[in-house]
Amino acid sequence: MGNLKRWIKRWLQRNKPWTEHTYVALDVESSGLDPRSDQLLAVAWVVIKPPVIDYASGRYYLIKHDQTELKQSPVVHGLVSKDFIDPTEPAEVLRELAKVLKDNILVCHYIQLDWGFLQHAAKQHGIKLEPLARFDTLAYEAQRLKRHQHHIARGELTLNACRTRYGLPEYNAHHAFSDAIACGELMLAQRYK
Amino acid sequence: MQPEFTEVQRFLLDCPPFDELTGEQRQWVAQNIKAAYVNEHNVSDLFKQHSPALYIVRSGGFDLLAPDGHLIERLESHDLFGFPSLLSGRPVVNKLHVIEDGIIYIVSAQMFDTLRQAVRAFEQYFIRAHGQRLLGEVARQPMDVARRSTPGSSAAAVNGSSAAAVNGGSAAAVNADTAATGGITAGASRRETPGYEPLELTVGEVVARKPVTMPITATIREAAERMRDEKVSSIILVEEGAAPAPDQGADQGLHPSLAQVRISGILTDRDLRNRVVAQGLSYGLQVNAVMTQAPATVQARQTLMDALAMMTQHDIHHLPVVDDNQQPLGMITNTDLMRQQRSEPVMLISALNKAQSREQLITEARQIPVYMQTFAARVRDTTMVGRLLASLTDSMTRKLIKLYEQEHGVAPGAYCWIAFGSQGREDQVLSSDQDNGLLLGNGLNEQQLEWFKGLGEYVCSGLNECGIPLCPGNIMASNADCRRTLDGWLERFQNWTQNPTPKALMYCQIFFDSRMVHGNKRLYQRYRDEVAQLGQKDFFLGNLARLQVSVQVPLGLFNRFRGTESGKDSDLINIKRYGIALINDIVRIYSLQAGLTVPQTLQRLEQLRGSNLLNRKDNQSLAEAWQFLTQLRLQHQLATWGTDKPQNALDPDELSTLTRRQLKTAFRIIKECQQGVGLKFGRVG
Repeated sequence: MGNLKRWIKRWLQRNKPWTEHTYVALDVESSGLDPRSDQLLAVAWVVIKPPVIDYASGRYYLIKHDQTELKQSPVVHGLVSKDFIDPTEPAEVLRELAKVLKDNILVCHYIQLDWGFLQHAAKQHGIKLEPLARFDTLAYEAQRLKRHQHHIARGELTLNACRTRYGLPEYNAHHAFSDAIACGELMLAQRYK
Repeated sequence: MQPEFTEVQRFLLDCPPFDELTGEQRQWVAQNIKAAYVNEHNVSDLFKQHSPALYIVRSGGFDLLAPDGHLIERLESHDLFGFPSLLSGRPVVNKLHVIEDGIIYIVSAQMFDTLRQAVRAFEQYFIRAHGQRLLGEVARQPMDVARRSTPGSSAAAVNGSSAAAVNGGSAAAVNADTAATGGITAGASRRETPGYEPLELTVGEVVARKPVTMPITATIREAAERMRDEKVSSIILVEEGAAPAPDQGADQGLHPSLAQVRISGILTDRDLRNRVVAQGLSYGLQVNAVMTQAPATVQARQTLMDALAMMTQHDIHHLPVVDDNQQPLGMITNTDLMRQQRSEPVMLISALNKAQSREQLITEARQIPVYMQTFAARVRDTTMVGRLLASLTDSMTRKLIKLYEQEHGVAPGAYCWIAFGSQGREDQVLSSDQDNGLLLGNGLNEQQLEWFKGLGEYVCSGLNECGIPLCPGNIMASNADCRRTLDGWLERFQNWTQNPTPKALMYCQIFFDSRMVHGNKRLYQRYRDEVAQLGQKDFFLGNLARLQVSVQVPLGLFNRFRGTESGKDSDLINIKRYGIALINDIVRIYSLQAGLTVPQTLQRLEQLRGSNLLNRKDNQSLAEAWQFLTQLRLQHQLATWGTDKPQNALDPDELSTLTRRQLKTAFRIIKECQQGVGLKFGRVG
């Protein structure tokens, strides 16, 4: 929540309408939930200049990692060893991401996880990720729901459940890029409401 | 590295004409489009920024408004807009009003141009859609699929050139194999490739040998010798250098070097037996004394179905084949048709013709529904199904008449057996009931009338047993009201046209679509000509027009589908009553006005070409809409056959995106043409 408040403050200070900013909707795939012990496997993002998502700016990287550590992730993202025949060096990906994030706003669904992995990897490679702000579609939605109702039921904050509330189409593919797009669309729907 | 966006690709696959692209091309589209979240605040800026472009609705709801504010169409997921200005280069004038926020994909003008240059079917789609010509897609589709699935066909070439154009010659090398697979998944996987139906071949494709001809001045013996030498069962007799058909006169003047001949007659093995040997004639006589004069002919570009229909209609086994200038190209016989082994229809007709008794006929006829299922699933031109069913019904009728004559002696006077309604129009379906009548010569006595009463009862009950249900409205030759002399019929028509009550008008719709099945041609022609004259009265046409205009097509507010049925089926649309029948009605009124005597809707339209009342565009649109609806109805009937689901009513929500768009187009055409009828005819009387 702190992130959001800070972001809103900075936004008010600059007095620049939210539509004038550039956003980077992003999703990571990892072998677990702990950035310190689990592996960053893939990252995908797309650039948004409201209200337009430019698909040509979309990126998807499979990241080089210690193969033996790949454990339960295939269950979640359908990634298997053979997908990593031609992975990209993490430093290379992070350098490109750093450029894209500079002065722009990072958007994720449950940003703690994605940002945690990105930060951990960036530190290891001595790269600085400096987005202007971070926007969490999950936190935003949780706050909005709290304003309207007392209790949030289990499963109401998943990406798909949030999208359904805004009448956004249902995406079946569980793929980092598909999720990045889905998250970006959700952000637009939330902000335009 | 650019991701593949399978979600968008899958969406595009269900969004014609993007299904015409290869997998590779769709991926390219998915990687380069823009998606905009559109709401009422950003909508106008957004379009100012990106137009001209092709827009695809992904979610939400939008109203497309004309500059004067009237609603053109409500747009929902999968709907396309913006292409008219892309094609015409004219500025965008229509506005978009947001009903529900949603996502709209933007395909830039540059991308659009790349795609339309690379994929012809893609471009064709938009050109047709622009001119409300979407329905033409149907007739083309199956053939395209067939072509696409042949190895090394033009599809591969399209893939190659488009891949190059799409990638702009960049590093991304195109794998030829994936491109080819992409081509096949684009078409054939989603539509079924229909089988091969021999009756769809043209006569020209089947005729193998040059015509065997002789001048009519040859002797009978010379003709027989020639037939023996050539090993043929029939010979065409011609007059050298004679003028061909009258309307070809000018043509001949332009090409004096071409030796034109005129087909004067035909002589068959059977003629030699029946007219020469059995009569004891001298073989030295000229053949023109015994030949069949002015025989029916078939054109090389007509189909085997046409030839089959003609043979059954005239009860003949040999048809000279001619080119567009009526010059003989060969001969087609019923044996040629039988040789098309896979074609059950030919077998069926010949089995009906060979039946020795009523029981045998009924046994054969009972097999028709089963055969029709496979036939209907196989043909590309679905109008053939209606024509074939009509031909089969004709054959049964003629056989029943012959059987009756065997029992009760020959007819005591000239008469015609007439088919009305769908059998008359040749757009019969398996569930169509009987519509028929008898036209009798004037001045028959009680006893003679009794013979015809017996005929009507015998044939109608026979047809019923053969599987053609009795007519609930009693429009059948077994009913004295439908068994009339020439004067009797004319009196009835006069009554209808002068006192056009709703019931009379309804009858007219059935009785004006007539065709002679058996009997005296001259009598029928007189009847038909006089009936045509009665149908031309302005007062009558005005009333008919007003009745037609009062039937609403199933398009509701915002161009959405509107159910036509009641009760639990209220979402269903009856495409027979509110589609095909409405087109038949529209075409009939123009035909009546023009005094046409053919009953078939498509043939009427063909004869109406060049009419001042019905312009070319509407004429073509009506034909396309009729064919589309006929095909849709057939597909629906095949899918629901044997179930208790409605035969003519379907659920628009179960249709594919393309079919839904086409169905809307068809209804829009009907609506516009109905208004045309109202304006042109409705004011009079």
